[in-house]
Amino acid sequence: MSKISVAGVRQHCVELLEYSNETKKRNFLETVELQIGLKNYDPQRDKRFSGTIRLPIVPRPNMSICILGDQHDIDRAKHGGVDSMSSDDLKKLNKNKKLIKKLARKYDAFIASDTLIKQIPRLLGPGLSKAGKFPTPVSHADDLTGKLNEVKSTIKFQLKKVLCMGIAVGNVGMTSEELVANIMLAINFLVSLLKKGWQNVGSLTIKATMSPPRRVY
Amino acid sequence: MVKRKVAALEKVDADLVNLQYKIRRDPKSYAQEFYDQWLAYDAQRQIFIASPTTASTDDVTKFHDLVDLVAHVADLYPDLTAAYPDHLKELLNQHHAILSPELREKVVGSLTLLRRKDVIDSTSLLTTLFPILISTPSKTLRTLLYGKIISDLRESNSKSINHRLNRTIQTVLHNLVTSDRTSTKGMWATRITRELWRRQIWTDAKPCDVMKEACLSDNEKVVVGGVRFFLGGDKEREEMEDEGSDEEFDIKRAKHQSVINKKTKKRQKAYEKAIDKVKKQERKKSAPHPLNFSALHLIHDPQGFAELLFQKHLQNTKCKFSLDNKLLVLQLVTRLVGLHKLTIISLYSWFVRYLTPKQPQVTSFLASLAQATHDLVPPDAIEPLMVKIANEFVSEASASEVAAAGINAIREVAIRQPLCMTETLLQDLVLYQRSKDKGVVMAAKGLQSLYREVYPELLQKKYRGKEATMGLRSGEVKLRKFGEEEAGGIDGIELLEEWKLEQKKRKVAEAMASGVEKKEGEEDDEDGFNSDEWEVGSSESDESEDGWINMSDDEDDEPATKRPRTEAEAAAYVDGQEKTAEAIRVSTLAQTSILTPADLLKLQELRREAQVDRVLNPSRVSKRKKELILRHIDEGVTADDIELPAMLGKKSTKEERVALAKDGKPGRDEHKSTQAIKRSKKEAEGKSTTNKEKARKKNFLMTVGKARAKNKKSLIDRGKTLKMHIARSKQGGRRRNRDGG
Repeated sequence: MSKISVAGVRQHCVELLEYSNETKKRNFLETVELQIGLKNYDPQRDKRFSGTIRLPIVPRPNMSICILGDQHDIDRAKHGGVDSMSSDDLKKLNKNKKLIKKLARKYDAFIASDTLIKQIPRLLGPGLSKAGKFPTPVSHADDLTGKLNEVKSTIKFQLKKVLCMGIAVGNVGMTSEELVANIMLAINFLVSLLKKGWQNVGSLTIKATMSPPRRVY
Repeated sequence: MVKRKVAALEKVDADLVNLQYKIRRDPKSYAQEFYDQWLAYDAQRQIFIASPTTASTDDVTKFHDLVDLVAHVADLYPDLTAAYPDHLKELLNQHHAILSPELREKVVGSLTLLRRKDVIDSTSLLTTLFPILISTPSKTLRTLLYGKIISDLRESNSKSINHRLNRTIQTVLHNLVTSDRTSTKGMWATRITRELWRRQIWTDAKPCDVMKEACLSDNEKVVVGGVRFFLGGDKEREEMEDEGSDEEFDIKRAKHQSVINKKTKKRQKAYEKAIDKVKKQERKKSAPHPLNFSALHLIHDPQGFAELLFQKHLQNTKCKFSLDNKLLVLQLVTRLVGLHKLTIISLYSWFVRYLTPKQPQVTSFLASLAQATHDLVPPDAIEPLMVKIANEFVSEASASEVAAAGINAIREVAIRQPLCMTETLLQDLVLYQRSKDKGVVMAAKGLQSLYREVYPELLQKKYRGKEATMGLRSGEVKLRKFGEEEAGGIDGIELLEEWKLEQKKRKVAEAMASGVEKKEGEEDDEDGFNSDEWEVGSSESDESEDGWINMSDDEDDEPATKRPRTEAEAAAYVDGQEKTAEAIRVSTLAQTSILTPADLLKLQELRREAQVDRVLNPSRVSKRKKELILRHIDEGVTADDIELPAMLGKKSTKEERVALAKDGKPGRDEHKSTQAIKRSKKEAEGKSTTNKEKARKKNFLMTVGKARAKNKKSLIDRGKTLKMHIARSKQGGRRRNRDGG
């Protein structure tokens, strides 16, 4: 396909939602993923890109987040019903690689208090950053729920050892309008990151967890 | 009589060569002859194997010739010569140390010949040659085998990638490196891998893994081979590629060359070949880029690798590498740490010992430290190092170069992790801009301007400068907290949006002015997806009349557009929309439409304009950003970067200036004319001289007779020769090779 149009994307979104919500409804909330294939991209010359962007609507509301914090933040977290750990809890892991890995796997993202975050590399070693889940700082002045939302709605484009990637941009519980807005923003951001713009994009596909993929470009 | 003589000769001397020729022409009728030779070969082989050391030279030459013959025609008699490759392998494996060099070379050559004729496959050839390569003491044999191995691997990967063979060889190399970590044999693995990497034959993760193992070896040479590969292998590959494409061929010249002088088939062929080559190159240019991931990115588990490397070769006090090699390892470790944002906290405390001005090559250490810093390093790990550098390097008493290098090193670290600085230290360092030495002043000012941008609170008020103070007051300048990531967005999207709105406003106004009725349908297909816009990609940045108003569908359902309006009305309408657009947090443009190539171009243009604005209006210049853009994280810091400001202050000596001026000019040993230099260069390249030159160089005594005779000629004779000359030149010279002559 050589062109992409708003109408086309909208059509695909509507069909995808229809498939996942009516034709074959599953017993869980499916996530909608944007899969990207790049072309004519030389990772050595063009340098590898990476970037984060905040989507207008939270793509994965069920994302599990853990707060690593001091007493004040732990209290706030408990109030908001979010998992939390204190620095003593972290010390108990005793730099055990397996336990840290387990911790990293258990949550999708971490938030840490300003006071604690500087000690995270010493307390936990490379485990979290290896998993790409280094915490986001939060200060006492910040609104915790706002921060949680921000973390949940931020997506990261990062090229690894291959020229394709997939990013969660929404879920099937969203309306098609919301989904389209998220997808558009993600696509536009991606294209603005690439050196040659659309010339570097090989394919764009959207897909819900259990649906057949739909190629939009 | 004559016939018999030839026959005799044939039998004795030209025997085998002739037979080979005949067999190739007609294998069936010469089967019996070949069979005889095969038997002779077998007999000789057995004699040879029975006592390889005592074989007479005669026997050896005979055996040599027979091996040659069989190798050349083995593909024609596959049944009879089925055991032949095994014979050769066995011979080479067991007796390579005692074979005479010629025979050895012949056996290796025969094996590669068999490979070319597809009698044996690459895997068996390479697995035979490789063990000999690493075990033989003979240097000539090693170079021979190395060349054959590389060329065979290139050959078998030339048409399509031979994954199977590559995997086998890579496994062999991997095993070679890992099996015996103390021996130098791993050198061969690194050499072969590096060469194939450079030629882009191996580009995936497996060869990187081989090199990774080499880096973790115990042998210094092997380690250095591996480390150098990671530090320079990619650059080498890039250079190789550039070299290949640089080889421009002058097709015009080739054409001209083929026309002058006599036309021969050979010349014609050469010309055709040249054209083929040019065409191939052009095809190559238009072909898509091969996938080039840098070796540093392809490493599996960089954290584990960097940790191991650090522990084994740097932290370990028993490690006895030379300083240069240690530095190489350090460079690799720090590159990995910076690139992958690894956490090795003990690395920073290890540095403390080496950060004194007396340490040899201290600038390399400083550069490595800067390389190892990234925004996830805890500031309290680097802080003591900053203090140490400041104490050791930067003082009134220390030499100016030392102080400049110290301050610059601190700045390089601070670019990557601004939180590593304390207030008192920074204020102290910034005061060095009152120094008398230019280098020190530059370094201190650099540090100050960096902190004006990232963390002005640390500076004393009078050093903050106007913009930083204003920025602080307005809350524009904000320190990035530890672990905070810069929130991304589409750079300049608001500019594009603004611009589009403006365009729209203008267009509506125009429409009003001309009084043309505008239908809604028209507006609808201005969705920004007209085919001409998608073709763009390069030059089109001017406004085309239609297709520029990029309105989303949901904005389109305003009914008001149907009737002609006054200008004021139109403006109000658009203004109202603008206000609502401002109210929305994230730009709606990016959410409701897809940026076309034309949009992206405009975006770039607008961004550039905004940048220009910033340059004109110095309050917005971002030196640090520029620097970071210029130097990507993928590139490391070198000692030169640290030494740079110290160089700035120094005046160069006359010798240095002369050397600088001479640099890049052709070598001129003695005083000579450029013509003479050109001529000698031509001669050295083995090129021929022109007829004019030949005539000029001809011995005087050889020409004097003719000159005299010419003078003595009668008028009639002169006329005759002139006529003859004209007639001859019309016919195209003595050879008559002029076209249409």
